[in-house]
Amino acid sequence: MRPFVGFMHAVWIAENDLRQSFKSVRHVVWSLLFPIFMLFTFSFRYGATGPDVQFVNYLIPGIVGMTAMFGSINETMSIVWDKSLGVFDRILAAPVSSTSIIVGKTMAGAVMGVISALVLLLIGRALFGVSFANIWTVLLILLLASFSFTGIGTIISGLASEPREAMMLSNLLRFPMMFLGGVFFPVENMPMPLPYVARALPLTYATDALRASGNPIAVLIDVVALLAYTAGTMLVGSQILMRIMTR
Amino acid sequence: MEDAIHVQELTKFYGSLLAVDHVNFSVKSKEIFGLLGPNGAGKTTSIRMICGMLRPTSGTAIVAGYDVNQKPQEVKRRIGLVPDISNLFGELSARVNLDFTGKLYGLDKKTRRQRIDQVLELFKLKERQNDLVKYYSKGMHRRLTIAAALLHQPEILVMDEPTSGLDAQTARLVREIILDLNKEGRAILLTTHQIEEAERLAHRVGIIDHGNLIALDTPEKLRNSSAGVHALEIRILGDVDQQKWIPMIKEADGVDKVLLVEGKIRILSKDLSRIIPVVVSLVDKNGGKIENISVAQPTLEDAFINLTGKSIREEPMSKEEHVRSRLARSGLR
Repeated sequence: MRPFVGFMHAVWIAENDLRQSFKSVRHVVWSLLFPIFMLFTFSFRYGATGPDVQFVNYLIPGIVGMTAMFGSINETMSIVWDKSLGVFDRILAAPVSSTSIIVGKTMAGAVMGVISALVLLLIGRALFGVSFANIWTVLLILLLASFSFTGIGTIISGLASEPREAMMLSNLLRFPMMFLGGVFFPVENMPMPLPYVARALPLTYATDALRASGNPIAVLIDVVALLAYTAGTMLVGSQILMRIMTR
Repeated sequence: MEDAIHVQELTKFYGSLLAVDHVNFSVKSKEIFGLLGPNGAGKTTSIRMICGMLRPTSGTAIVAGYDVNQKPQEVKRRIGLVPDISNLFGELSARVNLDFTGKLYGLDKKTRRQRIDQVLELFKLKERQNDLVKYYSKGMHRRLTIAAALLHQPEILVMDEPTSGLDAQTARLVREIILDLNKEGRAILLTTHQIEEAERLAHRVGIIDHGNLIALDTPEKLRNSSAGVHALEIRILGDVDQQKWIPMIKEADGVDKVLLVEGKIRILSKDLSRIIPVVVSLVDKNGGKIENISVAQPTLEDAFINLTGKSIREEPMSKEEHVRSRLARSGLR
């Protein structure tokens, strides 16, 4: 009975978070506008008269991975907002376990990452006819990637003392990740030592897996890397959250 | 009957800063207990520990028979907490906010619907129930936070500064609500930095300053505890700035404390018959004319001044007190 109650608490906390994010249509549109804008800008290559179909095929999985990253990390910013607005206290004053709070916040981040990535995937499909080999593999990769990004977001929100600091910290991580994570440029073509940096970023494995979703071995390696990232960031993130909650 | 809240040696250090220092008190069942003290005195920190939101460095609180260190969830189930600042979700409607709170307290769907209707009706928020809470006025926010705290029908209500920041009319309404909730048999622990409020609402008052509980009694007894101390109030004619007389009067023989209260100079002394002529001649010698002189009833404020050595209203926060109050609220705020 008790684990079930704890799980339901987590679900409600996640639902409440997502409800707030989706409540504001503008919020949703703005957050998706950025990857859409990036998609269109980069789909035209210099000198070409129209979209470069071959490059778009390369680009879209990258953009989808990037969108998952932005979506998840944005959603976890709710933690630092909740802290600064005092609404975190509302949850903390209720008979809810700290684990439920952490699981709830994590679920919200992961769901947000997957949903925003799927929107970009559908846009890519509708406009450029990009197809993915296996939608279930894609979903699995997106979910894993979103969990690892959520872990990163949780660490940032836990460490930041106020929202502005969290925003700056998250951009400090997101923008280099975006350019080094194999979204726009292949990791193999990067000058040394950037490939090594890229290999240290979860986004690199997410974009690689999304592109290779037909090749089981390559995907498996990426999935293992993402799993490791998810476990690592979640562990650290939940420790940090636990510390603030039980001070 | 057992106490609603029993606080034992409750202590909290923030690093090396002692925010709450071995505090002991009990809130009896069906009692309104007021924790009175200036900002940064340790009120919010104490409350957060009692409600199981902050771990005490040492000591504990027994709430409705449960030790907060061992059974925080049981304690949380029995307490309704009304925070000093509204902590509702601004992007959600009142109804959705209440529904979420109800879920966290484990109420089933039917019970939630019934009780939400009930509290919305009670606090006259029914018509605005579907509006986003961010468009609510301060008074509505306060009513809704109280409503949310009552949803799970707690035995004990804990309210942090329940009327601070409200206009007079709404403050009066909130006070009436508090008295009604108490009449229904709930024990209420409230904090306040307003003497009048403690005097008006609380059956017993604990005075807290610098993390120490320095006095605990009924408002009447506290008032009389400044036993032997009497208050003299004077107003000096034509002089808008009464302040400049204070240092002068303070020097006079037999005067204990001097402060400005509502435009009058309030002089505390153990021997009024001796200081009246002294003060009168002092003012006269320095070219002032006394417009009004009266002997005042000792108030809770006099007791407070007597105990803490300062007026609760006028002293600005010291740096340490500021750090204290920030620490109590930060981290999770």
